[in-house]
Parts: sequence; structure tokens; C-alpha cells
Amino acid sequence: MEGCPRSRETCPKLLDLIPQERKWYHNEEKNNSDQEKKLELRLAPPGGDEEDLSAMKKTNLDTRNNIKKEAEDKPIFNLSGNHFSPSNKTTYAPPHISHKRTAPGPVVGWPPVRSFRKNLASSSSSKLGNDQINKSGEGEKQVEPKRDGMFVKINMDSVPIGRKVDLNAYSTYEQLSFAVDKLFRGLLAAQRDASGGEGEEKPIIGLLNGKGEFTLTYEDNEGDKMLVGDVPWQMFVSSVKRLRVIKSSEISSALKFGCSKQEKMRN
Amino acid sequence: MNYFPDEVIEHVFDFVTSHKDRHSISLVCKSWFKIERYSRQNVFIGNCYAINPERLLRRFPCFKSLTLKGKPHFADFNLVPHGWGGFVQPWIEALARSRVGLEELRLKRMVVTDESLELLSRSFVNFKSLVLVSCEGFSTDGLASIASNCRHLQDLDLQENEIDDHRGQWLSCFPETYTSLVTLNFACLEGETNLVALERLVARSPNLRSLKLNRAVPLDALARLMACAPQIVDLGVGSYEDEQDSESCLKLQAAIRKCTSLRSLSGFLEAAPHCLSAFHPVCHNLTSLNLSYAAEIHGSHLIKLIEHCKKLQRIGDKGLEVVASTCKELQELRVFPTDLQGGGNTAVTEDGLVAISAGCPKLHSILYFCQQMTNAALITVAKNCPNFIRFRLCILEPHKPDHVTSQPLDEGFGAIVQACKNLKRLSVSGLLTDQVFLYIGMYATELEMLSIAFAGDTDKGMLYVLNGCKKMRKLEIRDSPFGDAALLADVNKYETMRSLWMSSCEVTLGGCKRLARKAPWLNVEIINENDNNRMEENGYEGRQKVDKLYLYRTVVGTRVDAPPFVWIL
Repeated sequence: MEGCPRSRETCPKLLDLIPQERKWYHNEEKNNSDQEKKLELRLAPPGGDEEDLSAMKKTNLDTRNNIKKEAEDKPIFNLSGNHFSPSNKTTYAPPHISHKRTAPGPVVGWPPVRSFRKNLASSSSSKLGNDQINKSGEGEKQVEPKRDGMFVKINMDSVPIGRKVDLNAYSTYEQLSFAVDKLFRGLLAAQRDASGGEGEEKPIIGLLNGKGEFTLTYEDNEGDKMLVGDVPWQMFVSSVKRLRVIKSSEISSALKFGCSKQEKMRN
Repeated sequence: MNYFPDEVIEHVFDFVTSHKDRHSISLVCKSWFKIERYSRQNVFIGNCYAINPERLLRRFPCFKSLTLKGKPHFADFNLVPHGWGGFVQPWIEALARSRVGLEELRLKRMVVTDESLELLSRSFVNFKSLVLVSCEGFSTDGLASIASNCRHLQDLDLQENEIDDHRGQWLSCFPETYTSLVTLNFACLEGETNLVALERLVARSPNLRSLKLNRAVPLDALARLMACAPQIVDLGVGSYEDEQDSESCLKLQAAIRKCTSLRSLSGFLEAAPHCLSAFHPVCHNLTSLNLSYAAEIHGSHLIKLIEHCKKLQRIGDKGLEVVASTCKELQELRVFPTDLQGGGNTAVTEDGLVAISAGCPKLHSILYFCQQMTNAALITVAKNCPNFIRFRLCILEPHKPDHVTSQPLDEGFGAIVQACKNLKRLSVSGLLTDQVFLYIGMYATELEMLSIAFAGDTDKGMLYVLNGCKKMRKLEIRDSPFGDAALLADVNKYETMRSLWMSSCEVTLGGCKRLARKAPWLNVEIINENDNNRMEENGYEGRQKVDKLYLYRTVVGTRVDAPPFVWIL
């Protein structure tokens, strides 16, 4: 994201951190000395340095008159007068700077929005993307903005524990297929081992062409079970709700079962 | 009061319902403690690991309603690994064995299984109300048990759960003789719904007040449902696509007109915006509008809808100035980000917040995601709305300063805590130094929950908060430079709090161990999902930074159901 100054810096060494930190605010020239003043330990009476901090005048508060709270006994509360004014800072230059956020890439759990809302946001923007693609007649050309993770559940027959996969991390069905193999190969082997079969890890292949032991299917936003691979990748991403890896031998029975249920419900 | 017989005192106590007040009553004297114990109807347990079912039953043998919360709040944002805990099964088993006449169970962030639901449905004859919020681990089979076995069920309220939808016939498991339904919320179910069973259920539920549908309920079905239930007060619309069938739309409009009791509207999970006009006739009565799931509704349609809603008290949406000018009664507002990448012409900025604060003086709860903020805006908001109880501001980019002055946002948030004397919940964001925590410690006397992310400079920040906020209950911190000194400064403080979460901070294993030694009445949990080399290895021990720390007071010691990646010191 533009505007985050830290992205321009490479990760600074510990010793260099204090002077370099000053550069991470925008108007460096103007505010440098202000920053340094702010961070100095202060025991002066309130209002001492106000004239220096022109930027702070914007935050002139009437609340100064309302201050009733007494200074507490604990040393960290030894503010003179408890003045609600920026000039009275007693923070000091920190002995060490701990965390550095350099690249504003995807941070786990940030922004603090539940996953289903992230999916809402990304699915609505991907639907918009599809319309644009159709209009310009570019066929399958993908013009997609960078998105946050779109995690969908994926289950595999005979494996009791499911996984989650981030569809925005891939742009082709092949990549997805590889990811499925990575996710489940070990689990499947463990499962077979536990049920008395052979426990060696075999790669999971042929998910897309019907030739493997397993086939990749998905459930779309209308609740229908679909075979993965028919539609363009973007269209797939915008309509998929969850994935399921089923045994290829069960495909015909899955289709039959699904059909009769749908007929029942339409009555 | 000792001259009154117990029954009279008990009758007086019946009028005292808040948990805090009942707790205060129980502390007055032995006799009141005893009377209060036996007459307590509703029990609230904010952390399921702070106590166990046996002790609960010993203290309150006659309760009817239980509320349990499991995982820490940051679990909502994927910071707590799967399998951490929060299992409801032992609780239901213990309650089933006892003779307690459970009527209501409310769970938040807990792991619920089909087995638990089945046991629940069979164990309590008078069971009336099941509310599950942000839970997981069960499927529609569990719902089928509830439907089949709970003869007197009134509320089945499923909010934002992860439910394995087997697309079974759970709705048709409600017996034909069952007519007591009051609340039904299955909006979070992903799969198809048996529409016939749903219509018949609604048709035989004259007491139905709240109905929230999932996305598999189309327009024509909605029209029929509303025709069956004109008494409805709270409606969550499922699918709202514009099928070419204009007859459905007309039928819907006719049905909606009859719903004169409708006060709350939500859902629109798959919404075609131009159909919203069907709801205009009832908008003037709406006090609550939640469009946060309606990804498709933009701009002008939203504005038209809101313009009709003069009585709105609760809203979650994206069009703010209209809200400000129309909704003078507004009390709660949530603005979620549609565009998580930043920029774009739908960007939400400080202007929206200022407009809302100016137009809606009764506003007391806000959750606001935005691209940018200024101190000046926050100071204005504080002046306009000194009544905030909950103020949660999330600037999407971490460490972002005031975009006009490039200063930290300390002064802005300082103004908020200074002006809002009743503030109970606060989330801060943007570029913040220790100063903001000094303000919070000084002024936020009523603060109970504080969320901190990417903020502060030194341990002093955290110390200001721990020393100053006497009523603090839940403190959650991520990616901030607070370390052992702050953690260990006042160990007894944690006895007055429910829990503390710190992730990606500066606390070390040595510090956590010291804390655990000093405070045996705390569970100090280290969650280390990715760590294959066990932290007990000598040499790196003390100085090793802890990725996730979760500590909470408890009277029942170390929990026995912790998974391998949780290390309880």
C-alpha cells in the first residue's frame, strides 16, 4: 500500500534504529526537532514548550479546565500537573526499538475482520472484475487486483480433518491441484497407516482429469456440487464456497444422490 | 432485613437481574449469599476455563440459563490455532448428570459437536433457547436432534457459526405438533434449505418474532413466508436476486406491507439492489438495519433505502452522510471495509465519522474501519458525542499517522477517552506512542475492554493502562513493543481481570515463567503452533520471545484439555 513510509526502508540494524526512526514520519524537516523534544524526559512545569510545537496547536483543547485527576504515587505517573498537553510528555527515547514492520504485506489477522466478511469483499470485487472482462471481450485475460486471502474449506474423503486453502494464492487449476496434494498427502498416508493399510506417502495426482484415484469437486454459491476445471479460474474463484476431494469411483453415485435430493426439494 | 422470612427476601431478589448486582448481593452476608445462590436463574461465565461445571453446580444448583464463552476474542481473526480449546461437551455432560432444569444455553466461540447437541436435546425437558455465536464443530445433524427432541423450543439462534451443512432435512425434523417457535436464525448455513418444510414450520408458528434466512431462500419463497408471518419483528432476508418473475416482487410487496411490526432488517446475502424498494413502506418503522452482509448494494440504492428509515437506531452500512442527515435516533453504527486494499472511490475517511457524530447525537456504539484519520476529526467527534460506550476505530494500515499533520493519533484518542466518561470498550489504531496509553490510564476509568495493535513505544505504555484502568477486564495486545517489565510489574492486577492476550510482543519465556510462579491462580498459556523445537530446550530458554501469550484467572487450575501446541506454565 502506498503511503506507508516503512516500506521504503530495509530492515534497520539494532544500533541504527533510534536516529533512523525519525525518518519514518512524513514532514521530516519540519518535525524532526519536534520529535526529539517530545521524546525527551521532562520534569518541567506544564506549558513550558508549547511555542515550539506549532503543529500541536491544532489540538488545543478546552479540556485543560476539566482536569481533576490527581497524580498517582507510582513513579510513572510523576507528570507535573497532569496537563493534557502534548508538551508535557515524559516518554523518553526508547532504549531499544523492537518490532519493525517493513513490507505492508498480508499480516495474519489484519485487518481485524472475520474471514467471511473478507470473502464477501473479495467475491463482490471479483464479480465486478468478471463484468469488466466480458465487456472488453478479452476472454480469459485476468485483470485482478491484489486481494487478501480467500480461505475456503477443503475436505477429503476418508480423512476426518479438513484443511483450509487460500484461493487467492493461486491463479491456475494446476497450482490448486499441487496445493491439494501438499495439504493432504501426509494426512492421507497417516489415515491409511492407522487403518492398517500401508502408510507410505503417495502423491495425489490426476485430480482434474478424472484419471487419478481422487477427483476434485466443489460446492458453488448456489449449493450445487460441481466438477473443478470447467470454467475460467476467476469465475471459479468467485463462485466457489468449499472444496471436496472425492474418490473418483464415487463420482457417479454422488451425482445420482445429488439429483434426487434436488428433485425432492423442488416439490 | 433479617427479620423477613427467606421467601420475601427471595422475592425481592427476583427483581435484581444483572450479574454484577446479584454478585454484590451475595457478598452482603451469609444468609443473603445462601438465598441468592438458590434463587439464581441466570449464570454468566465469561471464560469457560475460569471455573468448572462441578463448582458451578455446587454454587448454583437451581439455575435455568447458562452463558459460556470460550476462545479469546482474537480467535475471530485467525490468531488462535484450530483445536485450542473451548469444548462445551464436558459442560453438557455434567449438567445432564445433575438435576438442573436447564432452559437456555448461550455459547460464544466454543467448540460444539453433534454429540453435544444430541445430548443437550435429550437431557433437558424444558429446554427453550439455544443461542450459538461464532461456534464451530457441528453440523446440521446436530440441529436435527435439537429440532426433533426439544418439544418446548422457542429460540434457535445461530449467529456467524461454522456449520457443516449436510443439506439434510433438519427443518423437517420439527414435529407437526410443534408450534412454539419464536426465533429462528439460520443465516450462516451455506447449503440448500428445504423450502417446503420451512414454509410449513413458519405457518404453524404464530409466536414467531424473529426469522433470519440463509442465502438459499429465494424471492418467491420469501414472499410466501412473509404472507404466513405478518407479525414478524426481526427479518433477515436471504437471497434477493431479481428473478425475471415480477409477480414474485409484487407478492412480496403486498406481504411486506402487512408486516406492520417489522422493526429490524438484515441479511440481503445475495441482493439485487433495485428490489430494495419493496421494503420502503416499512422503513419508517425500522430501528435496526444491518446491511453488512450485502456486498452488492451500493450508492444510490442504499441512500434511497436509508432515506426512508427515519427511526433507525442500529445500522451497519456504507453510506454515511445520508445516515447522518436522516437517522437522528441512531445509537449503534458499524462500518465495514468493502475494499481491503485501500484507495478507490469507496474509501471511508474521517469525514464520514465526523458527519455521523454531528448528525447522530445519541450514538453510543461505533465500529469504524477507514483508510485514514486525523486528530482534529477525533477531537471533533469527542466533542459531538460524549456518550460513547463502545468506540472501535480501525485504520486499515498499521502505524498510519494523522494524514494531515503526520503526527501520532495520541491526541485524538486522548480526547475521546477524556470526553467519553462512560467508555467501556475501546479499540485503537494508527500511529500511537506511549502517550495515548497515558491518556487512557488517566481518563478511561470505566474501561473494561481494550484492543491494541501496532502501537506504543516502551513498556510504559502498557504500564499506564494496567495501573490506571481500574475496571479493566479484557486486554488484548498484538504487535506492540511491551515486554517482561510491563507484564510483571503488578501481578495482582490480573486477578481483577478476566484475561490478557499478548501476541507478537516482547515478552519472553523467562518472563512468563516468572509470572506463572508468582501467580499460581493464573493459567499462563503459551501458544506456539509453528514451533517444532520445543521451547524447553536449554540455552535459549529465558530469552526466547513468546509468540502468543494468553493468561486468565481461574479457580480450577490448569485445564486438562489443552492441545500439544499449548504449553501451560
